[in-house]
Amino acid sequence: MSWLKSTVKGVLVALVLFFFLFPVYWLVTTAFKKSEEWFTWPPTFWPSSWTLGNFLGLEGGFFGSVTTAITTITPYLRNSIVVALFVALLSTVISALAAYAISRFKVGGMQLVSWIISVRMLPPIASALPLYVIFSRLGLINTWWALILSHLVITTPFSTWILITFFNEIPRELDEAAFVDGAGVWQSFFTVILPLTSPGLAAVATLAFIQSWGEFLLSLVLTTGKEAQTLPLYLGRFITGWRIAWGPLSAAGLVTMLPVVVFSLLAQRYLVRGLTFGAVKG
Amino acid sequence: MKRWIFALCLSAVLVCAFSVAFAVNLIVWSSPDNADALYELAQNFMQKNPEVKIEITPLSWEVLYPRILQDLTSSAGSFDVTTWDLMTAGAIAPGMLDLEAFVKEHPELVDPNFDDEDFIPTAKYVYGYWRDKRIGYPFYGAAMFFFYRRDLFNDSALQEKFKAQYGRDLTVPKTWQEAKEVAKFFTKKFNPDSPTEYGIALMFPRTHTLFYMYLNFFGPYRRSPEGIAKFGKVDLDWGDYFTAQGEPAFSSEEGVKALQDMIDLMQYAPDPLGSDYGETLEAFGKGMVAMVPQWTACLASWKESPNLQPFEDKVGVAVMPGGTPVSGGWGLGINLASKNKEAAFRFIQYATSKEGDKIQWLKYRIGPTRKSVVEDPEVLADSPWLKEAYVPSLDGASHRPRIPEEPRLEDILVGTLSEVLLGQQPNTLETLETVAREWKKVLGK
Amino acid sequence: MPPFTKTESMKIKRRFKTVGFVMLIPLFSVLLGLTLYPFGYMVYMSFFRYSLASWERPQFIGLGNYRDILSDRTATSSVDFTLLLLAVAVPLEIVLGLLIAFLLRDTFGERVFRSAILIPMMVPAVVAGIAWKMLYNFEFGPANYFLSLLGSPKVSWLGTQLFSRLGVILVDVWQWTPFVFLVLYAGLQSIPRDVVEAGLVDGASGFSAMRYIELPLLRPLLFVVLIIRVIDALKIFDIVYMVTFGGPGSSTHSYSFYIYKVGVSFGWDVGYASALSVLLLVAVALLTNLLIRTLRLKETLEL
Repeated sequence: MSWLKSTVKGVLVALVLFFFLFPVYWLVTTAFKKSEEWFTWPPTFWPSSWTLGNFLGLEGGFFGSVTTAITTITPYLRNSIVVALFVALLSTVISALAAYAISRFKVGGMQLVSWIISVRMLPPIASALPLYVIFSRLGLINTWWALILSHLVITTPFSTWILITFFNEIPRELDEAAFVDGAGVWQSFFTVILPLTSPGLAAVATLAFIQSWGEFLLSLVLTTGKEAQTLPLYLGRFITGWRIAWGPLSAAGLVTMLPVVVFSLLAQRYLVRGLTFGAVKG
Repeated sequence: MKRWIFALCLSAVLVCAFSVAFAVNLIVWSSPDNADALYELAQNFMQKNPEVKIEITPLSWEVLYPRILQDLTSSAGSFDVTTWDLMTAGAIAPGMLDLEAFVKEHPELVDPNFDDEDFIPTAKYVYGYWRDKRIGYPFYGAAMFFFYRRDLFNDSALQEKFKAQYGRDLTVPKTWQEAKEVAKFFTKKFNPDSPTEYGIALMFPRTHTLFYMYLNFFGPYRRSPEGIAKFGKVDLDWGDYFTAQGEPAFSSEEGVKALQDMIDLMQYAPDPLGSDYGETLEAFGKGMVAMVPQWTACLASWKESPNLQPFEDKVGVAVMPGGTPVSGGWGLGINLASKNKEAAFRFIQYATSKEGDKIQWLKYRIGPTRKSVVEDPEVLADSPWLKEAYVPSLDGASHRPRIPEEPRLEDILVGTLSEVLLGQQPNTLETLETVAREWKKVLGK
Repeated sequence: MPPFTKTESMKIKRRFKTVGFVMLIPLFSVLLGLTLYPFGYMVYMSFFRYSLASWERPQFIGLGNYRDILSDRTATSSVDFTLLLLAVAVPLEIVLGLLIAFLLRDTFGERVFRSAILIPMMVPAVVAGIAWKMLYNFEFGPANYFLSLLGSPKVSWLGTQLFSRLGVILVDVWQWTPFVFLVLYAGLQSIPRDVVEAGLVDGASGFSAMRYIELPLLRPLLFVVLIIRVIDALKIFDIVYMVTFGGPGSSTHSYSFYIYKVGVSFGWDVGYASALSVLLLVAVALLTNLLIRTLRLKETLEL
């Protein structure tokens, strides 16, 4: 009866895949649909003619190109890339240092870790308003640094947590051997330990990148213009007071989604290692 | 990857350098509804004034008001010009430039053809003044209209059937009572012969939409002779929700009746509680409903609808049943913290001039605010109903409060209204009075 | 390994501790600087009436905001919905993630499937919100289309309390089950085969092997995933913002969303929003503390 089992399994797998992939498929195809096909009954699952109109502002009907073209998306793309890269980099460095200290030297113990995890509990909305106050006094509103710093608060707790488990896996003998060989603590950290945990570092860097890229609320409050606003905020311009330009919105959504999805698929191995706290080698 | 980033940065630098080359850089914030028209107006303006560069930044409606407020209260000056929704007048007034004072200081900037008296009086006040301060020039005049399928109302077979059923002629409803009968007639569920699936498309979602839709129903009661006797005349700052003394007026028998009218109509509409502008626009555009109360911007979209051709035969525009459509619209004002006030002033003067007003109507269906534009021969030829239906609608329009507490009040009421429509709360005086009490608390009474 | 003398050991230990502290400085400065002030500000402002739209200075009103919260129906309903989400979405995600992990292992092409299932997690929440908002369209949405294929009438996903709540829960499940799946799937793979095989040899059936051998071994990961999901579910915002904007009524107001409405949309009512945030923080702190203790996180982290 194993063919029955396989068929059932196959059907279930197909259903699961369908459920998880269909919404994305819908978004992607809508980005290429002509406006008549955005909403039809039955729904248009395969566009009868693929068009780039949503990207170029030709599919808005009487709406002009300001609210239907995504040609102005470039600054936002730039901002998202810069912020996410910096967050990934800084987050990794900061949390690696801290995780090493906690793992090796047991600095602070469980209390510290509890506090670090509790920071993750802070709902972004609660910190958004006071952060606005701080940053406006420092003149950082609508700058990349406002976003980078506030995103760091989101990404570092989780990164630290993950890296602690990674560092725990590295036998202490290695550290001690390095010290004995005359290397200082710092030197051994950078030349011996870090390279060994590079999969873990790649993991947290990837995760931090993804989290920063998709962050919405803090960017909404802390930035006011295209100098620093990120892609998720660009989407708002297609939501007019009343009508939603679904095609261009999907096109913008596609651009928002594509880099991070491609990046994560490529960095999948690291992602898996990171999310599973090093349990699996990918 | 590095090279690509470098190229991006380089182009960013070039763009920045390029913009610095212009003497004046104006940032104009707007809701996406206005952005396209403003963009074209800006292009025209820049052609005549090459030393000015204007950038239009559309912000989603939800975000625009908080962002304007945030900027004004911190005097950050991130924008020079903005369109402001009329209900937000009270909240933003302290941070906006006083245009009358400015004009006195800079008489040389005033365009002699501007003709301030040309503005429709209600528009001039509601989209321009807060108490005594002039914080904007009227940009987008709007009142809701009642759109209907002219071909169906003119169809003799349907007319006969209607007369047989209801004993009167099939006419475009002038009251909500009449509307209920007509809507039932056009709903397949109640009348299998109906040419349309539903009688009317309504939008009663849990957003600010519901807040203003309610006024279409409450207005007729509020502004009836009995209503005026009971509540006093409508103050343009407090609006129809309040009495002349600034007390809640909706927590009354009239308020309950208005809500009941809405409840009665819901069964003739497709998913009223889940529909907003976009859904009702589609419903009418695809021929699913016979009537829809809506804003004028729909027209441009319907003109392209295959189901609504020939357009003149199929789409009719009438004044809202009850005669008190809710007003919408936007004013165009200048940031007090703007560093480019002169250029900003010249731009808003152009955008709200006769030429600007005409362009925005003809091309983008942004309601005119000037009498001369409504009577302009080109406009009359294009949309004759403007004169018949538009001005009376604007004049008789019901208004939302323009006071600073408006968003909060809106949210409180909409929550309850929505629950009543959902059937979770009874439509009684008590329900509305609970809301009125909360309103008074917010207003500090 | 060469032995150290006692004094040498102690010196090294002290040096380690100092270096350890130094290494913690970056993290500390970031977190302290950017969370302590917000926290302090939040608590402080919660005792004031302060809203940008009124253009007035903050006025001290003591516990006034907190009293208002108690009589605020929208606040209580947002608590209800957030708890509902927690009680329904999170267990659903965990159970589904587990089932899918078991389903997918040892399947032909599992690498591909794993990659595919990762996608919802990577898609920015606001983009997911847009996609689902389209799916939930009453008249023309695919969700209703698929339902109609099953013979069901069209569902007003965005217009009724029940379905809008289900709708938001569904999107959250869609987005986060992959995360649970990933962690547990990886965990399953790291269980050495011989342990399972030993069990099977001893006469256990496939199912009991699952129950008695693999699940217990997965427990640490399950707990970690549970904590993370609970913390994140309490903060849900992006999905609500995009798909339902809290509607209809206040049906899908998550607590974070309500704080946003009060703190931003209503003209930046900072005082009231701060009070709401303080309450949220207290609740989350208690909850997570409880979880960490019960799930014995200390051991997992070897502390």
